[in-house]
Amino acid sequence: MSQGQLQVAAGTTIVTVDHVSLDYHKEKEPLPVLADVSLTAMKDELVAVTGPSGCGKSTLLRIIAGLVKPTAGSVKVLDSVVKGPRDDISMVFQNFVLLPWRTALENVLFGLSSRNDLSNEQKKAKAESALEIAGLSGFENVYPGELSGGMKQRVGVARALATDPRVMLLDEPFSSLDDLTAERLRKETYTLLINPQTSVQTVILVSHNVEEIIEVADKVVVLSARPASVVGEFKVDLPRPRNKKSEEFFQWVDKVYSLLS
Amino acid sequence: MAEPHRPLPTALLMPGTVRGGQVISLVEVAGSIGGKVDVPKLADELGADIAVLLPIIDAAEMLGLVRTEKGDVHLTELGLRFQKASKNKLKGLKDRIAAIEPFRTALELGAHGKPVTASQVAESLSDMGLKWHYQPEMNEALIKALLIHWAIYAGLLKYDGKSGKFTKA
Repeated sequence: MSQGQLQVAAGTTIVTVDHVSLDYHKEKEPLPVLADVSLTAMKDELVAVTGPSGCGKSTLLRIIAGLVKPTAGSVKVLDSVVKGPRDDISMVFQNFVLLPWRTALENVLFGLSSRNDLSNEQKKAKAESALEIAGLSGFENVYPGELSGGMKQRVGVARALATDPRVMLLDEPFSSLDDLTAERLRKETYTLLINPQTSVQTVILVSHNVEEIIEVADKVVVLSARPASVVGEFKVDLPRPRNKKSEEFFQWVDKVYSLLS
Repeated sequence: MAEPHRPLPTALLMPGTVRGGQVISLVEVAGSIGGKVDVPKLADELGADIAVLLPIIDAAEMLGLVRTEKGDVHLTELGLRFQKASKNKLKGLKDRIAAIEPFRTALELGAHGKPVTASQVAESLSDMGLKWHYQPEMNEALIKALLIHWAIYAGLLKYDGKSGKFTKA
């Protein structure tokens, strides 16, 4: 999976969000959404961004993806400024965004349709490999309507992995799933994405679920209400797999809640 | 003379709404809290309604992963091994899954590589008095979902969504 991806040393900063602000303009009056947000995501790090509902977390993710242009500040992947959507950044969405008339394999292939450097056979091999990594080997010819929510999200992950991204962005990836499925997928997230089989070098996840972010994140960035600014940032040094019933876990959860309230 | 009573089905039937991932979660959670847990606590831990949880426990028991006794769920030896397995958990239960309906009938009908549809499996099972729903369309849909969600993961069947046919893996 990591073919063609430049390897970088441990401790390298992969993503830099540098003093990013965003204003929407409503009837000529600027509506500030993000105010001077800065954060970094290092190699092999899973960074979780949280904040009150509607604060602009998902908007920040879209800015990092190059889908929205900030009013001020910049986003860099290594030394390269993000000026629009690019192949080395992939995103997994909350509501799966799968094409119902295409099979799982065809949905993953769709993500590779702009890769003119690959032959059809290479694209198929990449898509099959991505489905295998996502735990869907054998489900290549199944349609989304025949899959459970968790499996649809795995197709979304496979589609994102197939393009060999350096940066993986996850927008509330578990919130459309039932509790049992979400729990299982959360447990797998880190090892599923950051492992030698994938090209992923860093993951940024947005979630409003505090327990969820303490379960999966290496670093947590807490945003304030709109206009969002960073009100706290800390490393979660709990060993994996994390015990959600442990006192240390609750202490971390409390720490985030105290910043949110 | 009254019609003789049809014998009650003795086959093992996988509950129509249960999925492999749910059984995996149940065993992992039960294992993480000591291997013996009462059902309401398990429901609380899993964030699942009791009505949702009971068929999952039934499925886990059918697969030999847990046994239930006086309202407690106990992990069996197999359940403990299953909990510790790192990947392809359902493939490790292939033989047990193959003995449960509708997988058993699908494998019989698909013997020697013959493609089989969910409709054929449903019809064959209905002839034996085995149904998951009284409405034929719903019954077929539930059987199809079970075959997709269990038998493909277990490596028992392959499925082609374009033709709607299953073949033995």
